[in-house]
Amino acid sequence: MIAYTRASTRSWSMLGSSGSFGLAAMELPELSSNVAILTADLSFFSGLDRFRAKYPERLINVGIAEQNMLGVAAGMAKEGHKVFATTYATFASARTCDQVRVNMGYMQFDIKLVGLAAGLSVGILGPTHMSIEDIAVMRAIPNITVVSPADCTATVKATLAAAAHKGPMYLRLSGVQNNPTVYSADFDFIIGKAIKLREGDDIAIIATGTMVYAALEAAKLLAERQITCSVVDMHTIKPLDEAAVKETLGARLLVTIEEHSVHGGLGGAVAECLALTPRKPPHLVLGMTDTFHHPADYHFLLEKNGLTPKQLAASIATAYDEVKAA
Amino acid sequence: MTNLEKYTKAFVDSFDIPPSALAGLVYQAIPSWDSVGHMGLMAVLEEAFGITLEIDDVIDFSSFERGQELLKKYGVEF
Repeated sequence: MIAYTRASTRSWSMLGSSGSFGLAAMELPELSSNVAILTADLSFFSGLDRFRAKYPERLINVGIAEQNMLGVAAGMAKEGHKVFATTYATFASARTCDQVRVNMGYMQFDIKLVGLAAGLSVGILGPTHMSIEDIAVMRAIPNITVVSPADCTATVKATLAAAAHKGPMYLRLSGVQNNPTVYSADFDFIIGKAIKLREGDDIAIIATGTMVYAALEAAKLLAERQITCSVVDMHTIKPLDEAAVKETLGARLLVTIEEHSVHGGLGGAVAECLALTPRKPPHLVLGMTDTFHHPADYHFLLEKNGLTPKQLAASIATAYDEVKAA
Repeated sequence: MTNLEKYTKAFVDSFDIPPSALAGLVYQAIPSWDSVGHMGLMAVLEEAFGITLEIDDVIDFSSFERGQELLKKYGVEF
């Protein structure tokens, strides 16, 4: 039984999102007698060593063969298994796109596809391993739920929620070891229900994944300038919590932040949601620039994309000043 | 409780082993001190001593004895 103590949430933070997923996976056989985990040669990286030791018959390493993994997952799901499948986010979304589209989208097999190291966290391995368009890919495919936890505690909650969820899901895990903590205690995690973490009237910030913590820090910096920001953790990008989005309409500026391309991700989802709304605040879409980046350290790449709290606060303040002056 | 008693308790509670097994214990010598158990131990030590460990020290924390040396950096004397 998982305990949500300060020490446990801190240890998950130090493990990072992949390790936290692996730890939560230890609970899955208790929740579902027919659960199985597939991995494309990322057992250790998925934090699954303990799972493999305890449940060797439930862990299948298909090797570096992600497309085949989706086929195996579909077959097992068709036979009644609840299947989790893990690989790098970019391979989960781009390399296996057709298998995901057919087996998860069209056939709606109960597969939970876990995209590890989404965003820039394995940036040192270069553009082949950075995952900057996986949200766009996944949310374009019908029937797939897309979840992006804010921190490692939320990763544990999302993994357990995924086990209880019927239908295909993409679980996007981001950040590195020593991930900043947003949730240091137990909280309600309901798929499709956003969480408001901070109140404020001037600016409404909607963030997902690692950018939730960054948004909270940016909001603190903006508060020093007497600019108040609400911050919403939009952990489920599809189906989008449209009510939570529409609660932002009273703000003078709406900001979305994601460790993902500015095209097709959270920002796109929110913009589509509000497209027909006649009176709405200007929308600043913050995320990764529309380009491939050279291999580099995670934190360097965040800075290069303007995604540190200080940079976010500066971008938001500039946009807010422009809105006020207009 | 002395610092040594707190330190010993952190290992005993984290790894479910007796105090007599701690001398000379190194990372990955027992199944419970794997990478997951390691981070759990680090979090328990942080809470026990009211400190925040630097990531380099988390990595360098390779044995029961090495841990005691590292904690001195944080003002924890044994």
